[in-house]
Amino acid sequence: MNEPTPAKVSKLSELPREIPPPRDGWPALEAKLREARAPLSEGSAESQGGTAPARRSRPRITGIAALAAVLAAVVVGISLDRWMLAPAHPTAVTAGTEGSRGASEALPVAYVTDPRYLRERAALLRSLDARLAKLPPATRTKVLQSLATIHQSMHSIQQALGREPGDALLQELLIDTYQDEMQVLSTVQEASGGSGET
Amino acid sequence: MRYMVSVVQSESIEWEPALVQRARAGDVRSFERLYRRHIGTVYGLCLRLTRDPAGAEDCAQEAFLNAWRALERFETRSSFATWLHRIAVNVVLSRRRKAATQPELPALAAEAGEEPIEPPGEWVLDTPVEVQEIEAAIRCLPEGARDALVLCGIHGYSHAEAGRMLGLAEGTCTAQLPRARALLRARLESGVSGPERS
Repeated sequence: MNEPTPAKVSKLSELPREIPPPRDGWPALEAKLREARAPLSEGSAESQGGTAPARRSRPRITGIAALAAVLAAVVVGISLDRWMLAPAHPTAVTAGTEGSRGASEALPVAYVTDPRYLRERAALLRSLDARLAKLPPATRTKVLQSLATIHQSMHSIQQALGREPGDALLQELLIDTYQDEMQVLSTVQEASGGSGET
Repeated sequence: MRYMVSVVQSESIEWEPALVQRARAGDVRSFERLYRRHIGTVYGLCLRLTRDPAGAEDCAQEAFLNAWRALERFETRSSFATWLHRIAVNVVLSRRRKAATQPELPALAAEAGEEPIEPPGEWVLDTPVEVQEIEAAIRCLPEGARDALVLCGIHGYSHAEAGRMLGLAEGTCTAQLPRARALLRARLESGVSGPERS
């Protein structure tokens, strides 16, 4: 209070950069965002929910089929298989961090431990390599990049959940990311022609 | 699995890029996370530049809306916060330009020799008096000096970065800082809180 003025001036960098706004502006903004993005969507389903990334990536992947070199795909397939075969999926994925136990407990695990989901995912992963082999190299690369991005997102979100186990939004994002993965796998299946396992 | 564990074990993983990537693909929930993470600094920046809580709220909302629209152009290698702040500064400057065409401005009235008036909707930080004193002195600085001081002195941007944000040459921005500091010091010494002429 009685500090000499030069000292006060030098404290500028110590002033808080963050100032909380007087009210939560998100609800109003969210409405505007959905409105703003609507013209970019390709179908009316686009505006229905929060998993737009997968829906957007679908047209880029669908409809392309050709040959493949499988090496990179096999690597991804193996890592995905191992991941999938872990007994308690989220727990296994986040194993090794102190906060992860709390995170996995807080997760809405119903979705990722649903037997039907696990069965479908296992089937898709079993056939992934073969299906990727039917796709043209460019498409295959794109699929692998998408899956890599999805998995990277999962790790990042799980990391954040380790620090903030009770964060509902992060939990929701993680589930969204699992859904994205499922959607990419399903799209690969469609693009490579048919639902039967190869 | 090996890959997953190695990533999860890293404590320093930054998960924001994953959110940006998902938001860029249209995921509103991810954007909400980004909004909640950055709204404090964006609002703080707008508030200090506009000196008007209601105007700052509008600017912050518009900045996030513009960011959402421009997300596809965001380079993920750069800082999302810096990019967002640049957008926020643009919004503030744009509003100022519009306001400059309107005659009824508090600053003009003050310059005309009337009693110095506080900006509409005086804002008070829940902070020690000394900080409030500095904030009050900053509010009274002329726009150019205040802009440079807020961006460089409080938000820590370099002169070049601040200049780019403000649409000024680096040298101009650099010149504003000592002026701002001198004015601030004078304000704090005199204890006067009337607006300064630009």
